[in-house]
Amino acid sequence: MDSNAVECRGLTRTFGDREAVTDLTFEVPTGSVFGFLGPNGAGKTTTVRLLLGILRPTSGEVRVFGLDPVANGELVRGQCGVVLDQVGLYERLTARQNLAFAARVARMPVSERSGRIDEALRRVDLYDRRDDRVSGFSKGMRQKLAVARALLPEPRLLVLDEPTAGLDPENIVMLRELLLSLAEEGGRTIFLCTHLLAEAERICNRVGILQRGRLRAVGEPGEIAGRRGPSVRLRLSRMTAADRLALPPGAHLEPLEGDEWRCVLAREDDVEEVVAALVGTGVGVRQVTPEALSLEEAYLQVIGGGEHA
Amino acid sequence: MRDLASVMWKECAEMVGGQRSLRVFGIAVILMGIAPSLLARHSVLNAVFFILLRIFYVLLATVIVVANTAPDLVLHEKVGRTFDYLLATRLPDWAIYGGKVLVAAAVGYIAALVAVVLQLAFGAVLSGQGWNWLFLGDATGRILALGLTADLSLYVAVVGTFVALRVGEQRSAYLVTVLSIGIWILPFLLGWWKIGTTAVWFAHATELFAIVAIALGVLGTRLFRREMLVLYLQE
Repeated sequence: MDSNAVECRGLTRTFGDREAVTDLTFEVPTGSVFGFLGPNGAGKTTTVRLLLGILRPTSGEVRVFGLDPVANGELVRGQCGVVLDQVGLYERLTARQNLAFAARVARMPVSERSGRIDEALRRVDLYDRRDDRVSGFSKGMRQKLAVARALLPEPRLLVLDEPTAGLDPENIVMLRELLLSLAEEGGRTIFLCTHLLAEAERICNRVGILQRGRLRAVGEPGEIAGRRGPSVRLRLSRMTAADRLALPPGAHLEPLEGDEWRCVLAREDDVEEVVAALVGTGVGVRQVTPEALSLEEAYLQVIGGGEHA
Repeated sequence: MRDLASVMWKECAEMVGGQRSLRVFGIAVILMGIAPSLLARHSVLNAVFFILLRIFYVLLATVIVVANTAPDLVLHEKVGRTFDYLLATRLPDWAIYGGKVLVAAAVGYIAALVAVVLQLAFGAVLSGQGWNWLFLGDATGRILALGLTADLSLYVAVVGTFVALRVGEQRSAYLVTVLSIGIWILPFLLGWWKIGTTAVWFAHATELFAIVAIALGVLGTRLFRREMLVLYLQE
């Protein structure tokens, strides 16, 4: 069994002069849930297309379960279930017919088809609407049906590209619960492109943050959040720009709201030295609070850093 | 072959579920099936002319139906944004392309056959002279109605599919596809080719056209690529 479901090395794809993704290098361990985060237009969908062998890389290489998706497209895509940002359901067909087509494409034995389609529809609460045309479905129902279709052939790799885009809060919660249950079931690798950072933090074992086609950070959510070093939140008075110069090497201050500042430290022990240095320059230190960054904050820092780069 | 059958199953299910293609099919077949008999009843033109007119209507039914169906099978995927899903499945490129072309061609051929049956039935009812086989009683008529319509269906399906991939709009795709058939009239108009009237001439012409249509279809399987479609969808 392959230790990595997905491996990318220096993966680059250009369209004319425009680089859609540049030099992507990351792995997705088999059985893990990998969150691929980034703003719109960052290159997430292009990466998904490269993973599925729909697009050829301009340079670099990609392997899915050890296979080149361009040379072994059928084999690779046959092991993947996909929910794209445009779910791509056939509106003229019923829910059942949409799944029947997916079952045929997956070459599911005829004797198993009907049972597995019913099971998939029940799982997403659409069994009662099985004979209704998709054209009459709400956005949430379509999204659920697309997930059911992706899961039908029991894929080894589930690729979800913005599965919650455009959904109302109720459906987002429903889909999050479904994704959580899929993640808890284990046994399958999930590649999740999303904007929902709180969900990614709860579900994903690893995340990659993509910005303007470049991978800015990759690792476990906690690891990325702590990558900038330990930090403390300070409430300061009489603070001037010149006072920052008094800080020990490796420490730096970022203004937050009002009199609050974040101090990123080289080491956790440096906090006493920082406070002493500030007090020494006449700054009033009114409160010191240890801080743990959430994935969302880490994401915004990484993306913000990229914007200024 | 199972992949090809899967795509064809999906295309047929969508056609049954959609109204547009069925409407065009119905209108074309009924008009081309009934009109010649109605004209024959009220006209004083000679019988040979009407035989040719009946065959022309059968060919026209094929062209109208396939020139509508082939682009529709491509463009509804683009409009409904289902191409991305289709490309992400394990279906090979040739099955996606072949399924669309074969369904469009089959629908055109069925339209021709239904138009022929209607012509025979209405001919018998309206002429008041009982049942007769009209042009099917003649070898040339049979070649044109059963052979040339098959070639024409395949040719228009291949051209219509590729035109839709480039043009991206139903009406324009339809017009360009119909023009691609008009091109075949040019060599005759310019006097480079002469139309014979014997069954042998039509049999050879049908065979040659079949070779052209099949070659074009095979060339299509070589040219049709997933990556090409992704770039098309990004336009």
